[in-house]
Amino acid sequence: MIKSNTTFPTKFDAIVVGAGPAGAASAYVLSKKGFKVLLVDRSREAGSKELYGGRIYLGPLKEVWPDLDKKAPIHRWIKKERASIMGKDGRIITIEYNAGRRTSFTAYLPELVRWMVSKAEEEGTIFVDEVVVDELLTSDGKVVGIRSGPDEIRSDVVIDAEGVNRLLLEKLGLVSGPRPEELALGIKEVLKVRKNEINAQFNVDDDEGVAWILMGDITLGIPGGGFIYTFNETISIGIVIHMANAIRAAEAGAINHSFELVENLRLHPYFNKLWKSSDVIEYGAHLTIEDGLSFMPKRLVYPGLLIVGDAAGLILNTGYTVRGVDFAVYSGKLAAEAVEKALSEKEGATEENLKVYEDMVRKSFMYNELKRHRASKELMKDPEFFTKISRIPLKFFSELYEIDKEVPTAYEAFKNACRSEDSGPLSLMFKLWGMVKKL
Amino acid sequence: MKRLRIEELLQRNVWDVGKKPHIEINMDACGSCESKLCVKLCPAGCYTVVDGKVLFSYEGCLECGTCRTVCPQGAVKWSYPRSGKGVYYRFT
Repeated sequence: MIKSNTTFPTKFDAIVVGAGPAGAASAYVLSKKGFKVLLVDRSREAGSKELYGGRIYLGPLKEVWPDLDKKAPIHRWIKKERASIMGKDGRIITIEYNAGRRTSFTAYLPELVRWMVSKAEEEGTIFVDEVVVDELLTSDGKVVGIRSGPDEIRSDVVIDAEGVNRLLLEKLGLVSGPRPEELALGIKEVLKVRKNEINAQFNVDDDEGVAWILMGDITLGIPGGGFIYTFNETISIGIVIHMANAIRAAEAGAINHSFELVENLRLHPYFNKLWKSSDVIEYGAHLTIEDGLSFMPKRLVYPGLLIVGDAAGLILNTGYTVRGVDFAVYSGKLAAEAVEKALSEKEGATEENLKVYEDMVRKSFMYNELKRHRASKELMKDPEFFTKISRIPLKFFSELYEIDKEVPTAYEAFKNACRSEDSGPLSLMFKLWGMVKKL
Repeated sequence: MKRLRIEELLQRNVWDVGKKPHIEINMDACGSCESKLCVKLCPAGCYTVVDGKVLFSYEGCLECGTCRTVCPQGAVKWSYPRSGKGVYYRFT
């Protein structure tokens, strides 16, 4: 709803569709530069449709809000990185890395986005919630505003930050419908756990947290994984499954209800002791992008239009690192800078003038990261990696540590582990090397 | 600890359910579907099978977009709830 004390201009310099991290960042930066910005979102209150895994990298956010690490509603700084391979029989391998400095944190995305939007409002952005945008208005092949129900609002430029479900871009014919090969389904539970219990269970201080990724049996071998993140007084747990493989698993009868996977994680005998007196206080789901470069629209600018955040495919998932919020914020910042440049030109927001945004994205660390990690995409979709290959190290350690009388040499244990998956040590080494190169 | 049913999980959320469904299903196209992927993959369990037919309820929809992505029939006409209705996340 529009606050009664604000005067509502009939035309804006920029309209930003979607008040997620990308939209809020672009609105903030543009308003700070003095532009008249309208930011609209479909939520009841800013942030209330936001859902992600749970960890955000600080670096790119600080370039937009230098005091974010002091002022924003941050829960815990990630101190421990854990990664586990899980077997069917309760066997689990975990590695833990204790970090030396603070580069990422957990925060409730609804809270953080509300903070970002309030910063934009302080700079003059007019934020209107409860707005579902039905279409982007065009005139002579140029985007000139938005329509929501009977209301039409005009602007020199529109920034599309609509997220992973690109209803508006699809309607304009700029992208095709959703493709299961490029997407993944994330399902998440938020567990209420007392603060001192979290600290004790995870061996961390009040402001320190854990980011934990799981692979293997936790997704029934479907490419994807599980996650556990600690917050002040909650733990978020969830699973992400690659959609095309989830479809194959559903067709094969291997999965009856996707939501059972998260309950499997909550009730898992190895993990449930970490949250034994917990209560589920929230449950949600969101699509995420498995292959950013493939999901990315052919062009990120059209006359009068820029595409940012998830809608632009700017999300990185290497399997061991997931970066969405920081990419979104950074793309919002780049879009705002490009708009400033374009609107300072005589012809305004033409495609040619906006093109600078596309160049900035392609020269940015985001695009480099997406390209650098492109090969890992194949691996992240490969069922063999999540079943056979991940069972071999489990077998190896079981040979080595589960002892009756004789202790095998490490090499014997390795050979036995390979044999159990119909693989010779040498051919496995070649295969692994091929896989490791992609990571 | 006991396993929660999907209804119990959904009840943990804050909701403001709209009066009109924001998703429409083309029942003709839906009726001829064999795989019924929506039933297995919708994380809110919005799709259930009764007497061999898929029933859809929009009330527990988490607005994720899974159904529109996996429906092999293209039978899902998907949009967002209007006027801020639907799920209201706080801790996600």
